[in-house]
Amino acid sequence: MSNTSLQFRRIYHASREELFAAWTEPEQMREWLCPAGATIPYIEVDLRVGGSFRIDMQSENGNYSHTGEYREITRPEKLAFTWSSINTQNKETLVTVTLIQHGRQTELVLTHEDLPDKQAQEMHAMGWNSILDKLISQVPAQGT
Amino acid sequence: VVEYNVDVLDDTFHALAHPVRREIVSQLAENRQTILELASHFDISLNGVSKHIKVLEDAGLIQREIHGRTHYCSLNPAPLKHADAWIEHYRSFWNQRLDALGDYINKRK
Repeated sequence: MSNTSLQFRRIYHASREELFAAWTEPEQMREWLCPAGATIPYIEVDLRVGGSFRIDMQSENGNYSHTGEYREITRPEKLAFTWSSINTQNKETLVTVTLIQHGRQTELVLTHEDLPDKQAQEMHAMGWNSILDKLISQVPAQGT
Repeated sequence: VVEYNVDVLDDTFHALAHPVRREIVSQLAENRQTILELASHFDISLNGVSKHIKVLEDAGLIQREIHGRTHYCSLNPAPLKHADAWIEHYRSFWNQRLDALGDYINKRK
């Protein structure tokens, strides 16, 4: 249960520095981090390890905030931060963005994973993860 | 914005935090059983087993079918699936955001 994760890869015609800035400067984050049909009325970024950020998103479906804390800042190759919102059930998840230069292009790898919380660690200690995984695999993807 | 039930996971973990209840879930993972059949696996009273079944039922992990005087219990693993709910949301969120980042980068050139 504690190993849920998503990974994405993209190639951009830009340098690592440009992409790193797009991910860390509030004025730039506003330009692309906001879903279509929504706006970001408020954003604050304290870019240091242990520093936090807050991104308020507003759409006709409602308002919600994404908040988190920077865990690793290695300009211009790696950025890791916690991420929580109503869509993560307000539990902390971890987003890691890695930038790999290929000539004039940059490959971006984004990993979004959950952080094993105390309960998940206890479950793991009890050897129950494999059983839970087996149960989850029995659930039909649709109609649950 | 899709809202998920924050309490579901806590209920699930609480329900599984007892060895008898975990054994009940293991038993039912194989096939449905009556309460008497379930009770026969344990060295505790029928009343005791019934109480554990009730906790699992309240957490939504077990469903009960009643045929006459016989109560059949079967497993409903759907609550466990809830843990992965954010995955479905963020798969499309990050795909769209990363595409938007590409558009933004290209527009600036």
